[in-house]
Amino acid sequence: MMHLTEGSLAIAEAVKMCRPQVIAAYPITPQTHIVEALAEMVANCELDADYITVESEFSALSACLGASAAGSRTYSATTSQGLALMFEVCFNVAGMRLPVVMTIANRAMGAPLSIWNDQQDSISLRDSGWLQFYAEDNQEATDLHYIAYRVAEDLSILLPAMVCFDGFILSHTYEPIDVLTQADIDRYLPKFEPKERLDSADPMSFGMYATPEYYHEYRYLIDKAVKDATAVIRKAGSEFNDLFKRDYSALVEGYRLEDAETAIIAMGSICGTIKDAIDEMRNDGKKVGLLKIRVFRPFPEEDLKKALAHVRRIAVLDKNISLGAKGAAALEVRDALYGSGIPVTGFVIGLGGRDVRKKDIAAIFELAKKGGGDQFYGLKKELI
Amino acid sequence: MADKALELFDSGHRACGGCGEALAARLVMKGAGKDTIVVAATGCMEVFSTPYPETAWKVPWIHSLFENASAVASGVEAALKKQGRTEKVVIMAGDGATFDIGMLCISGAFERGHDFAYICYDNEAYMNTGIQRSGATPYDASTTTSPAGSCSSGNRRPKKDMPQIIAAHGAPYVATASIAYPADLIQKVEKAINTKGPCYVQVHVPCCTGWGFEGNQTIAIAKLAIETGLWVNYEMVDGKVTKVKKVMKKPVEEYLKTQKRFRHLFKPKRQDAEIAAIQAIADKNFEKYGIEIKLKKE
Amino acid sequence: MCQTLCPEACIHTTEEEFVEPDYTFCKGCGICAEECPGEAIEMKQEEK
Repeated sequence: MMHLTEGSLAIAEAVKMCRPQVIAAYPITPQTHIVEALAEMVANCELDADYITVESEFSALSACLGASAAGSRTYSATTSQGLALMFEVCFNVAGMRLPVVMTIANRAMGAPLSIWNDQQDSISLRDSGWLQFYAEDNQEATDLHYIAYRVAEDLSILLPAMVCFDGFILSHTYEPIDVLTQADIDRYLPKFEPKERLDSADPMSFGMYATPEYYHEYRYLIDKAVKDATAVIRKAGSEFNDLFKRDYSALVEGYRLEDAETAIIAMGSICGTIKDAIDEMRNDGKKVGLLKIRVFRPFPEEDLKKALAHVRRIAVLDKNISLGAKGAAALEVRDALYGSGIPVTGFVIGLGGRDVRKKDIAAIFELAKKGGGDQFYGLKKELI
Repeated sequence: MADKALELFDSGHRACGGCGEALAARLVMKGAGKDTIVVAATGCMEVFSTPYPETAWKVPWIHSLFENASAVASGVEAALKKQGRTEKVVIMAGDGATFDIGMLCISGAFERGHDFAYICYDNEAYMNTGIQRSGATPYDASTTTSPAGSCSSGNRRPKKDMPQIIAAHGAPYVATASIAYPADLIQKVEKAINTKGPCYVQVHVPCCTGWGFEGNQTIAIAKLAIETGLWVNYEMVDGKVTKVKKVMKKPVEEYLKTQKRFRHLFKPKRQDAEIAAIQAIADKNFEKYGIEIKLKKE
Repeated sequence: MCQTLCPEACIHTTEEEFVEPDYTFCKGCGICAEECPGEAIEMKQEEK
């Protein structure tokens, strides 16, 4: 059923239909519309969840941790400063293999303070063991929540997942969304049934300390689980397609890539702009295509290698920067293609919400042909 | 061995011999029973009771981080509510986790009124990390970060009144207790668990390693703390003190002399002014809580 | 009393209703000896 709705509200509807039992939320721009909508649903008995109005994001994720360990499906949402405050807890949740799902309305990190979009926040937690999905548009952002719960709660995975969508650009925009029904989601997403939970009928200790004798292997097993999630994502995405005719089985998605000489790689809403720019450039006879990364963790190394084997050069767009080094995607793409001989140039773009326009993509296409190393795109000389 | 079945905090933990906190955990679990989920903060107890793959806990137990036990417990409580389960949530945290780093989560959890019992094991410093000063460290106690030296007589600040802070949040039941009086401790834990809402029991647990005394003196020193008025056992219902433990008053010196952390008050030179300052703290407690047993003069 | 105050929970009641420590878990802290009102417990160094 198609609805014209705000991205945040569509996500709130999706979360409601996933039937979380415990929601712990703290407000932060630009995620507020999601948590407000959920609160209203609870207040009107449309959503049977315990909604904890915590006193900080740190407590939000801590509460989700506790609720999940006790066997309930949980949810939270945050961004930027809030996610940074959750840093410690993120490692804890993944380490304890608790399938919490959290929406990240991607926003720049302070200082300087910025409420506008980039992807530094979630990218900076790529080491944490959380699965990371990046949405191109609000339809994807909505659908990815169902997929995220399915994959996170799979008993062979049991990892938390972030569904990332660009703050303001997606969260506050209205798009026509195909909203599924509760019956649809009940068919797709089974009840959360963990093998182990806090239960006096079967007492267990969670979160003990591990000496050097055990820690190394424990971390290996988490890493393995993140990587094993690739197959589970493919299956979950393919089953979603069987039911709802939208295919999320691929971790990366090409657009006019099959015969491209230049590939542009990016994540998130910027892909929409890139697709439009590509159409224009194709009209001018330029052989350019897009490879969208929809799943960043696990990093789709094999899929990337396969999709890009034939291209002559690659431009990676990063809405983030590892200060003192390079953009995260550029580094990981280059690593995946090591030995292929395909030149990769990284462009840091759109930080702090700076608009990315079709002409910027066209300019990057030219810059990639020139080579010249990874760079910040479009610096205003007068400011530096 | 019949008794073993009742021990929900079992033998084999790695606490120091004579550990007041270990004893307190044992006693608290006698008050709590098996229908309990324990949410623990990082600290001595967490570390000595759960070295993977062994655990001393025969009830479900979870440890997340140092400062978030109250928030984790809030989530556990919410989940149990939604699942229609009857287990009670008991938070266990040391003074460091409670008085200092945990304040954020504690304030939120108590303000929201979740149904749990918070047991604070107060050994008056960060013991697990090597005896550093916390907000619970008493005036003039020497710790590694508030050491006595040629220009310092130890910790400069009085003990934070945590029970009052908790009561100010509207907690229906707040109590202080001590391993010196185990039956009283168990009773208070039972009350805290069975009173609806967020309840708090702060248990005095002398630490032989951190305070500097022989392991067999733990109970004796806990008693002296109460008899000198430096620790007061009391109960608060809806913010009002309803019961106190009265004592035959002893001078603080009798308590201070027993522990290395106060030795600098006596050696190399007696520090009368500091001892008097500590006596003043004790006297204030006697007055505030009315705990002195005065024998009638014939 | 000793049973209640042992931090190791290692003092048990025998069939004859005496109390007895489990030496596997006893750490020799001596609280039991110190607190016994009848002075019925004596701490001894373990033989080499």
